[in-house]
Amino acid sequence: MIIDVDCHNYWSSAEVLLPYMDPFFKDYFIRGEQPGPRGAFPHAHRPWLHPEGFKRADINPVSEDDNYAIMKAKHLDHYGIDYAILTGDEALEASTLANPYYAAALVRAYNDYQVEEWLPRDDRLVGSIVIAPQDPQLAAQEIRRLGQNPRMVQVLASHGASRPYGDPFYHPIYEACAEMGLPFAIHLGGQGGINSNPIGAGPTTFFWETHAILPQSAMTHVASMIAQGVFEKWPQLYFVVIECGVAWVPSVLWRLDANYKALRKETPWLKRLPSEYFKDHIRFTTQPLERPDNLQHLWSLLEAMDGKNTLMYASDYPHWDYDDLNSLHIPPEWRQNILGDNAMQVFKRLQALDAAKKAA
Amino acid sequence: MSENKIIACKTHEVAPGQQKIVQLDRFSVGVFNVDGEFHALLNVCPHKGAALCEGPVCGTTAATDGRDFTYCKDKALVRCAWHGWEFDIKSGEFLVDPSIKAKTFAVSVEGEDVVVHL
Repeated sequence: MIIDVDCHNYWSSAEVLLPYMDPFFKDYFIRGEQPGPRGAFPHAHRPWLHPEGFKRADINPVSEDDNYAIMKAKHLDHYGIDYAILTGDEALEASTLANPYYAAALVRAYNDYQVEEWLPRDDRLVGSIVIAPQDPQLAAQEIRRLGQNPRMVQVLASHGASRPYGDPFYHPIYEACAEMGLPFAIHLGGQGGINSNPIGAGPTTFFWETHAILPQSAMTHVASMIAQGVFEKWPQLYFVVIECGVAWVPSVLWRLDANYKALRKETPWLKRLPSEYFKDHIRFTTQPLERPDNLQHLWSLLEAMDGKNTLMYASDYPHWDYDDLNSLHIPPEWRQNILGDNAMQVFKRLQALDAAKKAA
Repeated sequence: MSENKIIACKTHEVAPGQQKIVQLDRFSVGVFNVDGEFHALLNVCPHKGAALCEGPVCGTTAATDGRDFTYCKDKALVRCAWHGWEFDIKSGEFLVDPSIKAKTFAVSVEGEDVVVHL
């Protein structure tokens, strides 16, 4: 079983969303100011621009149909992927907008577009309910609106956020996730606009430099989700951290455990060590997996975070730092867990879909 | 109960909510008065060997399922002087993980003497 938990579906133009927008926001979209040329997705863009563009240079769709045809040929079929969780692309950046109503309209349109135009193409594709978290009540509405769809397997937000995700401000989102039985995932992105600067000391200069240190905000979110007791309030909830690196995880968990032992009085709702909540509730994705000269150094760290059980394979198709499934540098005896079994456990809906597929 | 009984101090020397550190044989021992009851802990933290009993005698928050901050164990807890780990004075238990315990000694009061059973 091979499950890719981070497979980006592109669009040729954000105008594909127009049929799914209410008249008011359609008008806003067509005539309003855009961050780029006609067809650009409205968002408050981050200041770091990839000097070559994001995607692999060998993937050049010229039409909407091409987007899927190339994904099928060069990724799904080529690697024998059983399921790929679509993570969209620019839609995540709706989280950067100050106007939460416009942001909610954009992600709603994206989600409908995904359900109507992507999922029917291939039964290996499953979707993410993208939310604009700046208004948690609207986000919760969106989760409940689409949450019954058996092919939508998670709720997805950008890792750029205006405050750490454990903050009770966001708890309506987790209430809705729990009600629908969906994991809450964050994916690298959403820097800029109303979101906090993800680089703690101030803006960095270059794209590669910035991308390498983006785990900083993931650290904040992980600490916050644990400390604020999200997993005590919703004991079935999984939190999935996509594309934020992994080798830093043991270090942060060690620190969290040590500090909690001294100052548990600040958070009397916690019943266990931070690292124990992590093992039961938080999952990380491989891509881009760190690559030290001595692989043993990486494997020691992965072992310290129980990587066999806490990591899930992600390709990040079709981005510039795509990881080839066949050269994933993990211990061979962990492959089955990381390539598919762990995801099967987290994404409960895949279990049902897979059972139905096998019965058919 | 151990027969090696040593007078640690007089009862009036340790007021409720306070501690006194005494040397008994080869041990440094903290004698605590919790609401008129005397307790003794080895003055060594099981975490890193710090002078446990030199830390503040205080209380902490009670575990909760909600968001309430209920002060509990008032003056029945010692917070290690170095890293702040919380130990229940009566049981010696570390609050985060009760399987980790500070060494306790039995105590009896004989007249005006606080007697520690090493």
